[in-house]
Amino acid sequence: MGTIVEPWAMAENGYANANETIKGSSRELRHGRTAHNLSSSSLRKKSDLRLIQKIPCKTLKNILSNLQEVILGTKLTFLFLAIPLAILANSHHYGRSLIFGLSLIGLTPLAERVSFLTEQLAFYTGPTVGGLLNATCGNATELIIAILALANNKVGVVKYSLLGSILSNLLLVLGSSLFCGGIANIRREQRFDRKQADVNFFLLLMGLLCHLLPLLIKYAMIGKSSTSQINKMSLNLSRISSIIMLIAYIAYLIFQLWTHRQLFEAQEKEDDDDAYDDEVTVEETPVIGFWSGFAWLIGMTLVIALLSEYAVDTIEEASDLWGLSVSFISIVLLPIVGNAAEHAGAIIFAFKNKLDISLGVALGSATQISLFVVPLTVIVAWIMGIKMDLNFNILETSSLAFAIIIIAFTLQDGTSHYMKGMVLLLCYVIIAACFYVDQTPQKQPKNNLGGVLSA
Amino acid sequence: MAGIVPEQWSAAENGNGNVTTKGSSRELRHGRTAHNMSSSSLRKKSDIRIIQKVPYKGLKDFLANLQEVILGTKLAILFPAIPAAIIGTYCGFSQPLIFGLSLLGLTPLAERVSFLTEQLAFYTGPTLGGLLNATCGNATELIIAILALTNNKVAVVKYSLLGSILSNLLLVLGTSLFCGGIANLRREQRFDRKQADVNFFLLLMGLLCHLLPMLFGYVASGETSAALVSDMSLNLSRASSIVMLIAYIAYLVFQLWTHRQLFDAQDEEDEYDDNVADEETPVIGFWSGFAWLVGMTLVIALLSEYVVATIEDASESWNLSVSFISIILLPIVGNAAEHAGAIIFAFKNKLDISLGVALGSATQIGLFVVPLTVIVSWILGINMDLNFNLLETGSLALSIIITAFTLQDGTSHYMKGLVLLLCYIIIAICFFIDKLPQKQPNAIHLGHQPMNNVVTGSGGVFSS
Repeated sequence: MGTIVEPWAMAENGYANANETIKGSSRELRHGRTAHNLSSSSLRKKSDLRLIQKIPCKTLKNILSNLQEVILGTKLTFLFLAIPLAILANSHHYGRSLIFGLSLIGLTPLAERVSFLTEQLAFYTGPTVGGLLNATCGNATELIIAILALANNKVGVVKYSLLGSILSNLLLVLGSSLFCGGIANIRREQRFDRKQADVNFFLLLMGLLCHLLPLLIKYAMIGKSSTSQINKMSLNLSRISSIIMLIAYIAYLIFQLWTHRQLFEAQEKEDDDDAYDDEVTVEETPVIGFWSGFAWLIGMTLVIALLSEYAVDTIEEASDLWGLSVSFISIVLLPIVGNAAEHAGAIIFAFKNKLDISLGVALGSATQISLFVVPLTVIVAWIMGIKMDLNFNILETSSLAFAIIIIAFTLQDGTSHYMKGMVLLLCYVIIAACFYVDQTPQKQPKNNLGGVLSA
Repeated sequence: MAGIVPEQWSAAENGNGNVTTKGSSRELRHGRTAHNMSSSSLRKKSDIRIIQKVPYKGLKDFLANLQEVILGTKLAILFPAIPAAIIGTYCGFSQPLIFGLSLLGLTPLAERVSFLTEQLAFYTGPTLGGLLNATCGNATELIIAILALTNNKVAVVKYSLLGSILSNLLLVLGTSLFCGGIANLRREQRFDRKQADVNFFLLLMGLLCHLLPMLFGYVASGETSAALVSDMSLNLSRASSIVMLIAYIAYLVFQLWTHRQLFDAQDEEDEYDDNVADEETPVIGFWSGFAWLVGMTLVIALLSEYVVATIEDASESWNLSVSFISIILLPIVGNAAEHAGAIIFAFKNKLDISLGVALGSATQIGLFVVPLTVIVSWILGINMDLNFNLLETGSLALSIIITAFTLQDGTSHYMKGLVLLLCYIIIAICFFIDKLPQKQPNAIHLGHQPMNNVVTGSGGVFSS
């Protein structure tokens, strides 16, 4: 912790100075923040440093203010209490479903803080590395949960939670943003730039194809070849598709961060005129040092991993006790927790009639999961020797296909009104209801190693 | 009933009412929708001269009223089919004949109900009138559906509602665009796509509600008992129906209050035909209209009852499958009035109205009549779910998607109409040659039964 004092003190002391000297360069270029980050930042509050200033010892003071920035810098702070409670409950062997609930609650603020920390780090690394960092860590929670569930051989949970995350970003986050934005700006025209949205759709449709083909192989080949052979074909196809999806994601990053930057920044320029909230503008200097941020990031990742481990371990007991199917918990509950911060942010920006940012958050996040987290998980599973394919079963794949198609239709004309948001929200409700009533036994992840193929 | 009306009626006739209400916008005054405007194109001005000679005043009013309601449509020639059908039932005519006569009789009634709701809307004000129009616009379909339901013919209900959506989307829209495209070959045909878009979101949502219960059947191959699957599908369908009704209410709020201008836009530029504009005063009184509406609804119910009771016999003697009759023939009859209206407006290059009719009607059936039927059947204790089987859901999905693509760019030409029409013909042929025995409605009314038949029946692909 000793090394961090200097950059941190610089940041703190030269608050005003630093602010002025780098004012010239665009905020954007300086630390490569994406719509995703902008949205999360709406949940932050300025921490009050006055109390800490009175402490005599300088190092202690710095540590304390650092702590305050990281821990208290969000409106979700009070949920942090759930983390020690979950750990306590686990060591004292409380009810498993209690541990599950506490872990989920504890994960909510952590997801927001990780995005805050990556943004802080981006101040030091420059725009390109920063953009990469944001693009990679933006859905760190989902990735960690997926990899841990994989390590526990719960392939069903992995698939459901990733699919649920895409659905929740596309329908729930976008739907509530458009709905709230439409109600709040009922007499104003709500426009957005559809070019950015279109890029995301191409990628999402490509991802859909990768899920569709292994599913269809199963139906096409049943009766013609043995189950194990079908499994093998589907698995090989999934692994190749995953590599291609990662290539597409890398191309998307290049497109977004280098060659067509202006497409994704368009919304920022008009924003500067609006000079949106002062507090956000003031925050535009790093509040913690590089190494401090790095250490925090590692620490948080470990805590996320710990809580995810609890959540993955206890999901079946929670499912039994609450009378909810594992698929419902994985598809509906887990993603709501993982996306809470972005969700709130997207709605806040929609209220301010800044739909470009809301769209960037929801669609960007969905694309990231579909084209980065999902194939990465398949490849990690491959390395671990677990047979995870891209076959998400027919009900799940159709829900995904339907969500992508209805969103694509919704965003065709570049304008929005509350009816669009309402229809998306209701579609999410219907899909959630579908998984709620779905009590088919084969959905249990334990006997679902290779999707339905093992059936 | 005739005693109450003379005042309002004579005011309307003498033309005083015309002057006083002229100031306010036509639109705001009686909340008519594109649907109504289209039906009105089939109306003709009745000739009151002969009646004026009748000396007795009460009788004169009564006769004028009768003439307005009965003879006010070009379809009036089909009214004799109604007594013929009733007589046929009592004299023991052959069942297919009764079926045909009832269908013929239903055609003008559907148009007249829409005329009467429009008349009532003059008295109730724009909002209530809009609601009334939105609810009664497809009264015929709703009545047939509920009667078939009480006879436990769930398949006929499903098929006729699905057929109604298909016929609105492909047949009505297709002929409108085709005829409009041919008639205005050298002119640009534009429409406002925002209005169409709202309908598509809702139709797509409805499609989702049909898709998920259907997929349950495929997910649960093998291990799960059929009873569990049908239970799940039923629960989901009922929950979805409630969600669909919420969406429909939101759509009405959107259409009638918050975003009125989106749906009214076409009117201001129109100022369409003089003879239609002349009609812009109520021609019958409120209570008279109300009584007529109740009476017509009863006649519709009676004829629907005949139709539902004789559909299987007609199917056998005409050698057509019940699914073909329900999906293709019934909706053509129910939609005849709107159909004609939509084409007439398309000829006049007023595509916004044609679109409003076809899409509005499809949305109304998809998001209001269908879920209402599910809920009514829930109350009646009948297990009706939203699972329309693979072939039907596939046709629906394709129709919605192709229509949505067709209307993406806000312009039209006859090729678009032609493709939609041909799609309809293909779907009609598909149901014409489809003679699978499980399609018989008696086998279908317990939800999951046909689903499993399809699973095993369609080449065994899904029955792992």
